[in-house]
Amino acid sequence: MIVQACMLGYKHRIPVTVFLLFITIFAAIGMQRLQVDTSIDSLIPSEDPARQIYQKVMGEFGTDNKTIVYIKDKDLWTPEKLTRLEQLHLAIEKLDGVTRVDGLFSLHTVHGVDGKIISRPVLRAAPKTIEDALSAKQSALSNPLYIGNFFSNDGNVTAMIVSVEDNDDHNNFSRLIYQALQEQLNIQKSEFEYITQVGPPRINAELKQSLYEDFTILGPLSAVILVISILLFMRSWLSAIVPLVTSLITIIWTFGMLGWLGIPLNILSAMIPSLIIVIGSTEDTHLMAAFLRGLDENADKESSKYEALKYMARHIGLPLVLTVSTTALGFASNLFSNIGLIQHFSIAATFAMLANGIITVLVLPLMLFLFGSDKNTSLVKDKETSTLPNRLVRLFRHSQDHFPILTLVITAALCVFFIFHASKLYVTNDPLSYFQSDRPLIHDVKRIHEDLAGVKIFFITLESKQEKAFQHPKNIKKLSDIQNFLDKQGVYDRSISLADHLKFINREFRNIGTEGSLPETRKLVAQYLMFFHRSDLDSYVSHDYSRANIVVRHNVTDSHSLNKYIRELEEVMKTVTGPNMKSYIVSENLMVNHAAETLMIAQVKALVILLTLIFLIMSAMFTSFKGGFIALIPAIIPITLMFGIMGLLEIPLNPGTAMVAVIAIGIAIDGTIHLLARYNELCRRSSDYVGAVNIAVREEATPLIVSSLSLAFGFGVLIFSNFTIVAQFGALAAATMLFSIFANLLITPIIMARIRLVGLYQILAMSIDREVLDSSPLLQNMTDYQRRKAILISELHEFKKGALLVEQDTVGRDMYLILSGEVEVVRKDNGESRSLAILKPGQIFGEIGYIRETERTADVIATEDVSTLRFNYERMQKDLIFFPNIVAKLNFNISYVLGQRLADMVGNSKNK
Amino acid sequence: MMNLSLQQHQIALLILLAACLSVEESMASINSETSGVEIMEEVQKRHQQFPYIYEEQSMVMLDRQGDRDTRKARRFSRVEEDGSVKFLLLFDYPREVKGVALLANRDPDGQTSKYIYLPALGERLIESAGEGSNDSFLGTDFSVENLTGEMLSDHYYARRDDRDVDGIKYFVLDVYNEDDELEQQILRRHFIRQDNLYITLTHHFDKQGRITRIQSHHDLKAVDGDMWRANMILMEDKRQEHQSLIKISRRVFSHDYVPEEVFTAEWLYENYPYIETLEESDAVINEVESLEEVSDEMIEESI
Repeated sequence: MIVQACMLGYKHRIPVTVFLLFITIFAAIGMQRLQVDTSIDSLIPSEDPARQIYQKVMGEFGTDNKTIVYIKDKDLWTPEKLTRLEQLHLAIEKLDGVTRVDGLFSLHTVHGVDGKIISRPVLRAAPKTIEDALSAKQSALSNPLYIGNFFSNDGNVTAMIVSVEDNDDHNNFSRLIYQALQEQLNIQKSEFEYITQVGPPRINAELKQSLYEDFTILGPLSAVILVISILLFMRSWLSAIVPLVTSLITIIWTFGMLGWLGIPLNILSAMIPSLIIVIGSTEDTHLMAAFLRGLDENADKESSKYEALKYMARHIGLPLVLTVSTTALGFASNLFSNIGLIQHFSIAATFAMLANGIITVLVLPLMLFLFGSDKNTSLVKDKETSTLPNRLVRLFRHSQDHFPILTLVITAALCVFFIFHASKLYVTNDPLSYFQSDRPLIHDVKRIHEDLAGVKIFFITLESKQEKAFQHPKNIKKLSDIQNFLDKQGVYDRSISLADHLKFINREFRNIGTEGSLPETRKLVAQYLMFFHRSDLDSYVSHDYSRANIVVRHNVTDSHSLNKYIRELEEVMKTVTGPNMKSYIVSENLMVNHAAETLMIAQVKALVILLTLIFLIMSAMFTSFKGGFIALIPAIIPITLMFGIMGLLEIPLNPGTAMVAVIAIGIAIDGTIHLLARYNELCRRSSDYVGAVNIAVREEATPLIVSSLSLAFGFGVLIFSNFTIVAQFGALAAATMLFSIFANLLITPIIMARIRLVGLYQILAMSIDREVLDSSPLLQNMTDYQRRKAILISELHEFKKGALLVEQDTVGRDMYLILSGEVEVVRKDNGESRSLAILKPGQIFGEIGYIRETERTADVIATEDVSTLRFNYERMQKDLIFFPNIVAKLNFNISYVLGQRLADMVGNSKNK
Repeated sequence: MMNLSLQQHQIALLILLAACLSVEESMASINSETSGVEIMEEVQKRHQQFPYIYEEQSMVMLDRQGDRDTRKARRFSRVEEDGSVKFLLLFDYPREVKGVALLANRDPDGQTSKYIYLPALGERLIESAGEGSNDSFLGTDFSVENLTGEMLSDHYYARRDDRDVDGIKYFVLDVYNEDDELEQQILRRHFIRQDNLYITLTHHFDKQGRITRIQSHHDLKAVDGDMWRANMILMEDKRQEHQSLIKISRRVFSHDYVPEEVFTAEWLYENYPYIETLEESDAVINEVESLEEVSDEMIEESI
């Protein structure tokens, strides 16, 4: 069926073309519905319990979704600069979508001076004189609630906090707000030393912009790399063009599907075109290599192209299905991720891999029919030339031949070394770290952190069962105690709570020193609170004063470290709050980071599941757990090295890097499948397993190295992504691909040469012989599995007409089952030859020597081309040691055959 | 962010003074030629006629989540024969803020002094100084000016086309700062009922000309001839999505209800003394709070 499917594009060219066109047009229409989602929300699992707490806290204490406009100038407090600042303030207030601007011209402050309480705006309007400007400066800087939030310690920096409408970012709301703000900033740019904005609109807009840039750069770059590498290694234009065509169609199908299903693009989606081009091309490369080999083998035939296609379908069809399945499986392992970002990427990538398989199967034969040559003019012919793959193979071969054990020991030592370093892996996932560190946005974030306070925020919420609990000084002191511990940790920039407000107003009303203290009584707290508008305290205390909130600003970029500090904080909070008060630490960033930690656990699970599935699939394919085991080796070694390198280079696990292992395994196993498939095909024809390994490696090395290098280059292209996590993913995946060459061509052959495998798919492919096998007396009364197992331990041997299969008077312990053709059993006595029997497909010979080590009683000669399965006694005993039922069945059937022969002989002698 | 600006009372008191000193028949006919300021003068003449006012008020503040705060206060205002004005806003509820007072005096020479009394801070009046006539006070969405009317001499009034809403005719006046005759920066827009010359709706604007707050007067009652008073005043803050409602449960225009001594520190200290107590135990607090909750409900129901 697979072979037929592979020939569809050739045999039914018009229907296939119509089908492809129809789906592609349908998908292209769907592409117009594509949406982009770069929200941080997509990084947080929807069912994360912290999310509900976070939403509750946000609902109660207000969102942190605000833009900071940062203005720096050493002459800020002059009438001229303040006039400009006022213009900016008014202009921003006027912008559509802006709901509020908090800054110098909207702030009020209170001073206790000489027994008076003076309440006034910091600046109602731009001052006319320098004295007024300096007075405003003094007023602003004397309010501790404003330092760090609105003003730097030296007063050279001020901030405006711009609140915008809650919007789901439809119609590019973020970008429009960001641009509108930036326009205003640009007007004033020349007036100040430095002016910038940082906030969700900018981050979102830059994420989208970067995503678009990635789309426009990475895909074409991957295509160029692909073409160059294929031309370099395959020396065939068609081999380079075919994957481009299949990739293009796959990209249209994939994004069309996303459009129709309403699945948005996200920052990980930026790499999908590259992945399609690169991963998809590997199958094309293998198919093209097989096609060219088919041309070689059928060079003398008239319809060599057709024969070559058949050859390609027969030899690569099943491996293609398997490799597409395992690659898709690698991506699909994240299908059920509870993180939207990962899940959406997984859906898109899995679909892309499957679609690419189908498209390749349909398009490639079609293109070969239209544009393919009748003769192989490519590298495949030049197997013995000194190309890179051949040189590499020769190098590996040297190690395999001369130091196999040493090679394995060194590899094992390397694995141990990298496993040790892999143990240092840690998770970190700061959304801002997705940007490259040299990006202006990141510089601006640092600048704000240095002069004011970090733009990152988390909330510490204390919850009491009692109303008005946080009008009670002892509870307010708890807030203060927690803040003292935050100060002691020394990693946060600023924390503000109700306690700070009360300390400040108490200080001003009492005219006491610079250090404020908390009001002593509940009544005084309540009376002070009258002087705050509710909106002043919205972020710090709930309406009924049963819940209070500490807003912490920081710039801790390493969320792994942040988690450590948070855990310390949680311990202290338990002690401070006591048993009657609940406490939470929430923020979007913390949830994102927590999600990354769960992601790591999920990836480990996915990895184990994937390895198990690959093991089971390969074990089933080879009807042997050894097959599954061998297939795992080239998968495990690269990811061990990859994790080790991550540990060594301190590359953290994040949504990008965490996925490398499962995706890379899914891809790296493709080469292994092709290699093992070819090896088994060769093993069926020869008992020289080492030779089979060498031939398989030599034949598969070029496509394997070409595809691995193409993959490495293709993944390497992602280094140019605007997103760090994509770049890290690309670099690690590229390294893993290179490691897989080493594992596939150096380590796997050493093991393969020592363990023999036979492919199930070959048995399946031998449908022509199934009837023969079913009717053979040797395999009677055996289950399918028992038959398969017995057959898999045999060897396939083909003989030309006239060949001597068994020679009389020689000793041999092989027994043969005829698959096709006829043989004649000839007994030579005293120089006379006597034909004893003509044996046909399904019948066996050599069974006496198999049962007992004795001289052969007759010659067996092929009267036409013969195909046989050879059963060796020792191997059968050894390999079937754990299958006594199969041995018993075989022995019984042989006894039956022998008994039948004996009965025939007795019958014949009676007749004579 | 802080709202301690008691200086607004200065303006309020001036208005009261002006109104009380001009208790003459002022219902001149208003026609299409009447200017904005003339209409405002008519409004003040008609509705601000008595020098002694005592009010019992309930304030309900509603935030964007729909949570409510309730306060009760008494307002005393008195215009003396020498032209000085005294004003006291005294809080009675919640229990923790009982005795908190805003006290303002305006001397005949125009000097205004304002004081805050916080019983929990000790027996002393804290002088309050500041700027900003339009700032909300004591956590409400109102400024003092919103409640008492504005100083005509400080403003310029531009009359707009009259409007008819639900069958009721309104004069429409845009209010600007007195020195802003170019009408560049609208402060407020008054909607004045033509039938009783009462301002029932005011839109407050920000510097960008956007409506930030809407003040509406309800439950209008004729208290003396042509003089009307609203028993309910609602202020909606459109940006903060807050609302503040003042309900006047009792209003008396009587000298006896505003004795001179209530405007003194001694009276406040005597009636709302500072008692240096240790913190109440949780049990006591809880008991009191549960009583207060019942009281809250009763107050809100009555409102």
